[in-house]
Amino acid sequence: MIGQSEASPHKTFFIAVVVLMFIVFVGRLLQLQFIYQDEYGKKSAENSIRSIAHDPIRGYLFDRNGMLIVDNRPSYTVTITPSEFQTIKIGYLADLLQLDTSFIQERITKGKLFNRFAPIKIKRDISFQELSALEENRLQLPGVDYQIESKRYYPTMAKAPHLFGYVKEVSDQQITETPNTYRPGDIVGATGLEAKYEHDLRGQKGVEFITVNARGELLGAYNDGKNDLPPNEGNDLFLALDARLQSFAESLMTNKRGAIIAIDPDDGGVLALVSKPDYDLTQFGSVTPINVWKALNTDEAKPLFNRATLTRYPPGSTFKMVLAAAALQEGVINPTWGVNCSGVFQYGNKAFKDHIPHNYTGMIESIQRSCNVYYYQLMLKTGFGKWTEYGTAFGFGSATGIDILEENSGLLPSEEYYDRVYGKGRWTQGYLVSLSIGQGEVGVTPLQMACYVATLGNKGKFHTPHVVRKIRDKSSGRIINTPIETRVISLSDNVWYLIREGMKRAVNSAGGTALTARVPGIDVAGKTGTAQNPHGNDHAWFIGFAPFDHPKIAICVLVENAGFGGVAAAPIAGLCIEQYLFGSIIRKTLPQPPTITEEQALQD
Amino acid sequence: MKTWLKEHIDFPILCIVCCLLAMGITSIFSATYDTGSQMYFQKQLTFMGVGFLLMILITVIPFRTLQLLSFPLYGLSILILVIVLMTGKVVAGSRSWFGIGGFGLQPSEIAKVTTILALASFLSQRNRSLHHLKDVIITFSIVLVPVGLILLQPDMGTAIIYIASFLLILYWAGASNLLLITLIAPGVAALASLFGTTAFVIVILLILLLLFMQRGNRLMAAMTFSFTVLVGASTTFIFDRLAPHQQKRILTFLNADADPLGAGYNVAQSKIAIGSGGLFGKGFLQGTQTQLNFLPAQWTDFIYCVPSEEFGFIGAFFILILLTALLLRGIYLSSIVKSRYASIIVIGIVSIFAVHTIINIGMSMGMLPVIGVPLPFLSYGGSNLITNMMMAGLLLHMYANRREY
Repeated sequence: MIGQSEASPHKTFFIAVVVLMFIVFVGRLLQLQFIYQDEYGKKSAENSIRSIAHDPIRGYLFDRNGMLIVDNRPSYTVTITPSEFQTIKIGYLADLLQLDTSFIQERITKGKLFNRFAPIKIKRDISFQELSALEENRLQLPGVDYQIESKRYYPTMAKAPHLFGYVKEVSDQQITETPNTYRPGDIVGATGLEAKYEHDLRGQKGVEFITVNARGELLGAYNDGKNDLPPNEGNDLFLALDARLQSFAESLMTNKRGAIIAIDPDDGGVLALVSKPDYDLTQFGSVTPINVWKALNTDEAKPLFNRATLTRYPPGSTFKMVLAAAALQEGVINPTWGVNCSGVFQYGNKAFKDHIPHNYTGMIESIQRSCNVYYYQLMLKTGFGKWTEYGTAFGFGSATGIDILEENSGLLPSEEYYDRVYGKGRWTQGYLVSLSIGQGEVGVTPLQMACYVATLGNKGKFHTPHVVRKIRDKSSGRIINTPIETRVISLSDNVWYLIREGMKRAVNSAGGTALTARVPGIDVAGKTGTAQNPHGNDHAWFIGFAPFDHPKIAICVLVENAGFGGVAAAPIAGLCIEQYLFGSIIRKTLPQPPTITEEQALQD
Repeated sequence: MKTWLKEHIDFPILCIVCCLLAMGITSIFSATYDTGSQMYFQKQLTFMGVGFLLMILITVIPFRTLQLLSFPLYGLSILILVIVLMTGKVVAGSRSWFGIGGFGLQPSEIAKVTTILALASFLSQRNRSLHHLKDVIITFSIVLVPVGLILLQPDMGTAIIYIASFLLILYWAGASNLLLITLIAPGVAALASLFGTTAFVIVILLILLLLFMQRGNRLMAAMTFSFTVLVGASTTFIFDRLAPHQQKRILTFLNADADPLGAGYNVAQSKIAIGSGGLFGKGFLQGTQTQLNFLPAQWTDFIYCVPSEEFGFIGAFFILILLTALLLRGIYLSSIVKSRYASIIVIGIVSIFAVHTIINIGMSMGMLPVIGVPLPFLSYGGSNLITNMMMAGLLLHMYANRREY
């Protein structure tokens, strides 16, 4: 046997093995380099390219006159890069920054899970002393650095904490619920406009791509930075708010409990929103000291509670116009109908009192002088159904749809409601007598009241209230107007005349209950109310609009535990109207607290 | 002159070897580019120069002289393998290196050539037959002595190359099918048993079928079968009694994907490098996997990833074509040489190149277990490169002397 003949099976076997190897390897190459190329290409990019996020500047807030009211200021944030940090230095760093070691440890552990080469934020808004201590010890603390971030700053006197809201660090839940948006340590709007418009305000993170080697060491910018994306600033909000009116209204409510909300009757824009007592937003610099939180949360005055949209009280006499509108429009009475008020109304075996005998009272006088007997009788003539129907039309019993997150719907009782609560046939018409003058179960928010009086002012156009008028898109520079939603309550001209005339006389004519809301040179129209309070002093209401013919401002003032609306609430409303329409207070003498007899006359 | 050259020089093999060397040195340059020094590149160039000299020397050496030197050279290489076990340097856990100046010498590489020479010399002697037990035993001894010494180092990868190539040479030299089955079956059965009972049963049935198809010694066939079943069955028995970390090591060896952070890391990174290359690659010195050292010591065993990543399918395919052409040319040469001695040497060299190529590229593309063997002419390493060029010299020598008996 010498060599192998050319066609031997042995040679064929060897050739077959080599050809098979070639075919299999080419097939595998095609599979890896063509079919899975995208997948492996992505993996190779992930291997060597890391992205570093850069936080955008949060959007600014401007008032209706273009005044900057929510601004950003630089603040220093301490960061740790886990891959470089020496764990034994943790106690030293904790002392320096007055933090818990366990807190720092937890942050590092969490950050490592994300990317141990990316800096994680340990403490925000450090003081100058802390910053200089850090700088001095820089060499002993490898991996510790600081970033310049922005924090909210409020340059004007308008504080409006409930309206603006505060920001806080994003929660784990939010990170998972909105994928690809937040990383641990990011800040996010928590309440008010900051929360409602978070999507606009936060902007878009910038990304810087860097190249690292297999050990994760930085080698430099990837592709000369050509793939980097600068951060997109957050969008700016232009509010309907008037910063000067806001700060003025806030000052009027100092040391009071209650709310002021002013609305532009032309479009439903919120001119001012005050809730007192309130809190200082500058204490909420994304990390809120525990003691501040505790104090705010346990304060029995509930400073965190937004009274303007959340509190719910009976509207008192301010609600009388609802019944008046229902009765007149439905033709239950003709405009000349009147009652003879003896100061008391006997229904069954129960006597319902009025403040004073009003004698003969027609529609206009009933509003002007707030005659209860008139409405007791009118309610029984008009019926529960119509009252509920017109109350609903004016927006009671349901949320207004304002663009801040927290809002109470209030409560507007109906026959179905009483049937449900008390049982069918277990309640009497006597229940209606209280409702007719806005007492009893009926509950409204100051915001609902402001919308209601704005609708009375503009004769039937109910605009959904809104704080933000326009949004400036920072990436395109375009300004987007927020749409105005309007529904119409159509009442005949004569009905509008009678109701509005009554409100005008309440402020401007002798015998009116709201004389304290009068503003020199301007026809103010309004109505006082006093919410009976079984737990303490009554709450004072005033709603009004001005100027009478073409109203530019509609306002609701609520002062808790302050007695009559004409005494406690109406003077505040008058000053606000004057401030807004003239730009300042022009009257020489400020209203003085009324004497006892004057107070008697202001009962409603 | 032109015809003389054509008559005496195998230009296809020479061209293929030069192309492979060019691809290899380019890839090593790229893979070691970021180390900042060109040490590897320059060393490999030096080895290449030495290799060329040896290649030419072997090509021109008289045919008879080579034949006469076969056994003495084999004996010398065995002696060196013994000495390295006693005085060698330990690199990566194996005592397989001599340190000479700044260079290392790996005798197990050179011994590949001498073992083939000795095997060919013995099997081409008159009256030797693989059907005689005595000759079979001597043939086995020639291979098992160096394999045993290499396993003592220990260097599993090189030993596998020896054994696989030996089986191919045996087949070529006319060993009976029964003998080959007896050699291969127990190993296959042991491997199959690790993949589960079903695989084991199927393999056993196939072996039984193959044995039935063989004419001749039924008793031998029955013994082979019993031995195979015994080895297969005891494999699982032994495996079950191994410590968990030992079991894991074996399973990772069989399936690297099972351990993506350990042994599987290299394979995963290698597949990423090759796959991300696409059609045209990322460009010379632009491969991120290569340049950023995602594969440790990529210039040695995982060299195939470098051209695959930087030159893409074009580069990877070109290398495959070259290696395939080299092997086919070798098979052709083994069938045209007149002497049995030359034929066995040529097929032995083809076998070694083929086993290296299949294991190395198969491993790089994640198709075979990770066994550290170099890719012929491409991987960095002096001993291996010089051995490969000596073997190329032998191919050229056999072509030039193809008409000799």
